[in-house]
Amino acid sequence: MTSAAAASSPEVLEAAKPAAPRSLLHRTLDRPGAWVGYAWLGLIALAGIFAPFIASSHPWKLVLADGTMEYPLLAHLTPADVAIPVIAGLVVATVIARRWLAARWAWGGCVGLGVLAVALSWGLVNPPELTVFERSRIMLADGSAVSATYTLIPYSPSDRFRDQPGRGLDLPIAPNATHLMGTDRAGADLLSRMIHASRVALAVGFIATGIALIIGVILGGLMGYFVGLVDLIGMRLVEVFSAIPVFFLLLTFVAFFPRNLYIMMVIIGCTGWVGYARFVRAEFFKLRAMDFVQAGRACGLPLWSILFRHMLPNAIAPVLVAASFGVPSAILYEATLSFLGLGLVDEPSWGQMLSQATGAGGNFYWWIAMYPGLAIFLTVFGFNLFGEALRDVIDVKS
Amino acid sequence: MLSYIVRRLLLMIPTLIGVTAVVFFVMALSPGGVGGTDLNTEGELDAQSRAALRDYYNERYGLDKPLVVQYGRWLNRVSPIGFESGQAGAVEWSKPRLLKWPDLGESTSKRRPVIDLYKEALPVTLLLNVLVSPITFLLSIWAGIHMAKRKGRAFDLAAGSTFLGLWSLPQIWVGVLLLGYLASNQYLQWFPTGGLSSTRADEWAFLPSWSSGEFNRGWLLDRAWHLVLPVICLAYADFAFLSKLMRSSVLENISADFVRTAKAKGLKAKVVLYQHVFRNSLLPLITVSAGVIPGLIGGAIVVESIFSIPGMGKLSVDAVFARDRELILAGALVSGVLGLIFILLADLAYAIADPRVSYD
Repeated sequence: MTSAAAASSPEVLEAAKPAAPRSLLHRTLDRPGAWVGYAWLGLIALAGIFAPFIASSHPWKLVLADGTMEYPLLAHLTPADVAIPVIAGLVVATVIARRWLAARWAWGGCVGLGVLAVALSWGLVNPPELTVFERSRIMLADGSAVSATYTLIPYSPSDRFRDQPGRGLDLPIAPNATHLMGTDRAGADLLSRMIHASRVALAVGFIATGIALIIGVILGGLMGYFVGLVDLIGMRLVEVFSAIPVFFLLLTFVAFFPRNLYIMMVIIGCTGWVGYARFVRAEFFKLRAMDFVQAGRACGLPLWSILFRHMLPNAIAPVLVAASFGVPSAILYEATLSFLGLGLVDEPSWGQMLSQATGAGGNFYWWIAMYPGLAIFLTVFGFNLFGEALRDVIDVKS
Repeated sequence: MLSYIVRRLLLMIPTLIGVTAVVFFVMALSPGGVGGTDLNTEGELDAQSRAALRDYYNERYGLDKPLVVQYGRWLNRVSPIGFESGQAGAVEWSKPRLLKWPDLGESTSKRRPVIDLYKEALPVTLLLNVLVSPITFLLSIWAGIHMAKRKGRAFDLAAGSTFLGLWSLPQIWVGVLLLGYLASNQYLQWFPTGGLSSTRADEWAFLPSWSSGEFNRGWLLDRAWHLVLPVICLAYADFAFLSKLMRSSVLENISADFVRTAKAKGLKAKVVLYQHVFRNSLLPLITVSAGVIPGLIGGAIVVESIFSIPGMGKLSVDAVFARDRELILAGALVSGVLGLIFILLADLAYAIADPRVSYD
């Protein structure tokens, strides 16, 4: 870390700041392990972002018998289906635009446009309330439609054969030519659910870690900066949350609130901040006595500026490493809760799929165990490989 | 040392109050509140009996009182020093008691005293932990030292990536695969699918025996047979994590000045490694063990659910599903006490292992 050298003059710090995080990520690429991590995470990120365009029961284009055309896939997109690719595109555009724009403008614009995109898509996109997955298939069968162009996997994650008359006894279906990974117990296509679940997993991982990071940085920063009474009270709070297994706390919280993706993210975030708070506190302890902090205080800078503009950039490195291990653990928490039946109900989730692999009667369906489990494993492994590479880059000692 | 321990034990009290308060208020502030599910799950009640049931709950648990009062009453019942509890746990201020047996209440879902349920469940979880922790610690110390000795060579590299992989393996997946491939009737049926004992194990002799040419595996072997898969499932991740930690810790010490001095004065490599490096390398392991052991209790939730072992984890999951207030609060209290005691033990062990650290 260059903090000690850079600390003495604010100009050096200012000049070094924009380059630092990028070069860190670049340097992780020196490690072969990180490549494996990046490759898998990129794959599931793509799958998650474009999930409805890869796996859906609604065809892109449906040609009716009278020659008119329908576009059921576009009509059935939910606001999130629209907002997520747009936001992903914005982030990519921002990274490219950073070559010409200052970080503040590029990321500011990205956040602004992102909020606008979310507002617009929730305001303008309204899919039909009743979804009949069978519709296009029935229309093709009875001749009221002539042809249909389906997505790569022509099944939606909630398109369950169990709901059709006369089906249910043959479920789950083992992998075959139409269902490459078979179906789950309710007869939903496993591959389709896997693809849609990668969105859920990544969203939970990143947003929950983000929430935990914000709480941890603010509390840890205040504790490390003010010491004394604030620190004493804060540390008791930290102790409360670390005395009891996090998973027990999660279990209790989840059970008492509605089963909902967003609430799950908040709960995982609210229970996982302790580690970050400890790291930030320890770093701020060291930094608060340094000259540049004293100078900032003497200049009469507002508290938030001292804490988050001047001290935080010097303390962020160990926190980033912790966060890169925090994302997979949030993903694991979600998977485990869903596995125990306390997680998501209708949304596809790797953990919820995995829980269907064994069951009453001693049946074991290898495909339901293998594919979702492998997906969780590879995702966690990918993040851990990335985290190790990042730690090696930041920590020169080892 | 003694005064330090006493001080730490006293500091546990505010922390435990904090733990239970967090759990209590999250439960109480959730939609439906504490009594909500019980009123709903009692089936289709007419208005009159629903009102009667609500009155009963209000009277029994004081649910119509403000939350702070409810929590205070619970605290008074649990605390060894306090006042007598009257109707609905009401504090009887006129009857102070210096020492009383903590009353954890009665489980609403199982209709039994909570303390009895924990008396049955706690030893099971502790048994799992007592089996798992020494195995993982000993194995990972061994593996870590050998990896460090062969730094950069094939064994080190292979073990390094294997351990990162092991560490990333989700417990739920390992559990399901073990159950599916080693315990189901479709593949190898080597192990039982769950539970702690076979149905009739209580009638068997303690040790394995041969009677009239027939082998009886006995209670002990039967129990061990049931515990193989859960112990593997609980141990592998910590084993991988601790091995990596031990490796980096040994490597850090090997390059330290005191090791060079020890070598320079002609000590044998073995003596340097096992007497000088070894003891110093244990310190980080002791530090993290404060977190590993409460983590095992948390991990037991998953493993006990997969293998249907009637321990604390299973009890917690059942309690959470039933929204059983008394059982959940007691669970928070018990795991909080265990967690804090392990943190204290780790701190004490640190002082024993490292003479530079002293708490006096």
